[in-house]
Amino acid sequence: MAIVNLQNVTYKYPLTHMPVLQNISLQINEGEFVAVVGPNGAGKSTLCYTLAGFVPHFFKGEISGSVEVAGMESSQSTLDAWVMNVGLAFQNPFNQISGAKYTVFEELAFGLENIGVPRDEMKARVTNAMDLTGISDLANRSPYSLSGGQQQRVALASILVMQPKVLVLDEPTSQMDPIGTREVFGVIRKMAEQGMTVILVEHKVEWIAQFADRVIALKDGQLLLDGTPSEVLTSPILEESGFGISRYTAVARKAHGLGLWKTDRLPVTLEEAAEGFSFTPSPSLRSASQSPQGKGERRP
Amino acid sequence: MNIEIRDLYFTYPGGVEALHAISLNIKSGEQVAIIGQNGAGKTTLVKHLNGLLLPTRGQVFIGDWDTIKHSVAKLATRVGYVFQNPDEQLFSKNVGMEVAFGPRNLGFNGEQVQALVNDALAMTELSDKTETNPYDLSPTWRKMVALASVIAMDTPIVIFDEPTTGQDALNITRIAHAIKALRERGKTVITITHDIDFCAENFERVIAMGQGNVLLDGKTNDVLRQDAILATTYVDPPQLTRLAKRLGFKNTVRNQEQFLAELRTNYTL
Amino acid sequence: MHERLSFFVKRDSPIHRLNPMTKVVLALSLVLIAFSSPWYWTPQAIFLLAIIPLTFIARVVKEYWSFFLKVILATVSFLFIMQSLFLPGESRIIFEIFGLEVTELSAQLALRNATRIAVMISSFTILLLTTHPSELMSDLTRRGLPGQFAYVIISSLQIIPQMQAKAQTIISAQRARGLDTQSSFFRRVGAIVPLVGPLVFGSLVEVEERAIAIEARGFTSTRAKTSLHEIPDPSSERVIRWILIALVLVSITLKLWLS
Repeated sequence: MAIVNLQNVTYKYPLTHMPVLQNISLQINEGEFVAVVGPNGAGKSTLCYTLAGFVPHFFKGEISGSVEVAGMESSQSTLDAWVMNVGLAFQNPFNQISGAKYTVFEELAFGLENIGVPRDEMKARVTNAMDLTGISDLANRSPYSLSGGQQQRVALASILVMQPKVLVLDEPTSQMDPIGTREVFGVIRKMAEQGMTVILVEHKVEWIAQFADRVIALKDGQLLLDGTPSEVLTSPILEESGFGISRYTAVARKAHGLGLWKTDRLPVTLEEAAEGFSFTPSPSLRSASQSPQGKGERRP
Repeated sequence: MNIEIRDLYFTYPGGVEALHAISLNIKSGEQVAIIGQNGAGKTTLVKHLNGLLLPTRGQVFIGDWDTIKHSVAKLATRVGYVFQNPDEQLFSKNVGMEVAFGPRNLGFNGEQVQALVNDALAMTELSDKTETNPYDLSPTWRKMVALASVIAMDTPIVIFDEPTTGQDALNITRIAHAIKALRERGKTVITITHDIDFCAENFERVIAMGQGNVLLDGKTNDVLRQDAILATTYVDPPQLTRLAKRLGFKNTVRNQEQFLAELRTNYTL
Repeated sequence: MHERLSFFVKRDSPIHRLNPMTKVVLALSLVLIAFSSPWYWTPQAIFLLAIIPLTFIARVVKEYWSFFLKVILATVSFLFIMQSLFLPGESRIIFEIFGLEVTELSAQLALRNATRIAVMISSFTILLLTTHPSELMSDLTRRGLPGQFAYVIISSLQIIPQMQAKAQTIISAQRARGLDTQSSFFRRVGAIVPLVGPLVFGSLVEVEERAIAIEARGFTSTRAKTSLHEIPDPSSERVIRWILIALVLVSITLKLWLS
């Protein structure tokens, strides 16, 4: 059952000439973990806003085509219905903190106060969200005293308390340091494993290659590719169009040209690359490395 | 223009000791990347190079100038610093004027300023955007404007604070090209970065910091070999370094060329 | 700690425990009575018999007096001096300096007016020292203050200090481009645009993102809001508030009647 169904969506921001989304058609099933890649300016953020209802309800502008998400239809439902069903988080954690609350616990309750959730249920949901995002020990801290990674997890938790059916994340780790990136990816992965439908815009190709079910490549407002990480991230179109690809893919492609990578299927993860290159070491190295591959066994 | 840091200690007014006993030299023309967790002291260290911070103990020399004896404006003639967030620098009507701001402050005459601006715009692929208002550009291009603004100052030393954060692959390539052009002109380039792949591919020397100390300092390949210490900075090694290690290659690898070279050495029919 | 701009001091005192509205009404009442009562000694009496005891009951003596010495004393002293020198009126001259006269009448009026101001500043100081801004805004919103209005006030308390930090970064970034912040006055005036420009434009970008973020959390929802913390409002306090309002009305009536 498709929880997201975009048909021929074209959208232009107010007072602009070029449509930022051009004829996008996209179906996503419940529970899928979809990654979105593309150069800056490709329309990834606009796609996120469209899935979250901010396009067109917040930004206005001209939209054509149909947008259905979590049982809502763009022209029928208002923004306050959308935000109940679709959670949206973005790059800069600082801008996602409301500023109206003095502790993390209260910050998480902010959204629930706004929509009139009863007090007991509020406390339960907040506690639960803090558990999920690993910030329970930060409950009484001021959101402004936290590290980037902690703040971003607070932002995620404050969306999760709203119990959305779909989670849309626009480059949530772009401004994180290595620890923060790990923390945030950890939460996202957990949500995906629990069956949440996740749409994640990311540049960190290596990670999405490992954990996403599906990858969509966007360029100049158009959907270029849509398939498994392996299919999309190894497509030559990506490298030609200036997308970021993993170094494993890039070096394997070069090695292929030199006859040093034997199959046509290129790797996207460390594991795949290690497997694929592992029959090339010399005998002395082959016996030294404990690769379960053994000698000369090729990947299918 | 050599940089000499002698036994540098720095404590913030609140009492936090951010740097302990840092001593290091950076020679003219070197390309150095500084990596480490947030809070390790990277930005604190680098702010001592243009006088934004002054040592609590110890000394910092930029060429023959002791930073204590010169104002930030004076030091800006020798050290250019590109801050992480371009929106914290941009204010002019158009890109041309924005990029001219730095060199003008440094006292270059009109003609010189124009030449420097044109050069910097060419290096950052902004030549066709001279008349555009910086805030009409996307964040990606605003980043390039910030870079150009500092490049135009033509300082012998240039510092980049997290240049690739939030950038797409195309822009990272542009930034790498600009850094390469600076290297070819003999500039010293110092970068703080979380992007370990970018670091490994573009810098010959890496300094790893943790909790106010220098943990590692040396040639990139040598630093990348030190897994245990690197692990304390929570920086994952570059993709190809990990792959080479996995495959049991003898030498540490830091970019595609080295990987392929090692691959050939190890390949048998 | 640039975390917030506020006076609030966390203590456990009878005043802290009062409902925010009660404290607001109390502060306003003290001020209105001080200003309107026809009896000359009212402001002084309020200051000595209400304000000072309140600082003890509220256990904010140190903070209040620190603020008093830093701000209130200078302000009211200045006012007193200016008023006693310049208020007109025929009466015995007490003191003369540089051709200006301090008369008995002017001194009396100056004392009363200065004390009124002291009462005003002090009442609100005590209010702010004993009331958490979040609680105050919550209570006012519950009583009908528009949510957006409350949000603007309260988020400013936290976001403005953050903007100060941002301003510092902008100053550093521009100094690093050779902007001279230490030379002549005119040069420094010219430095305003490179410092204010990024702050304003950068803030506009942030504001849009924050608007989206709070929208995503139901900020403009039309449902009836609930609150995480219960703010008790015992009927005894309601009675106190009505009594205070009555006293204010009496004071105003007396003034109108006697003038």
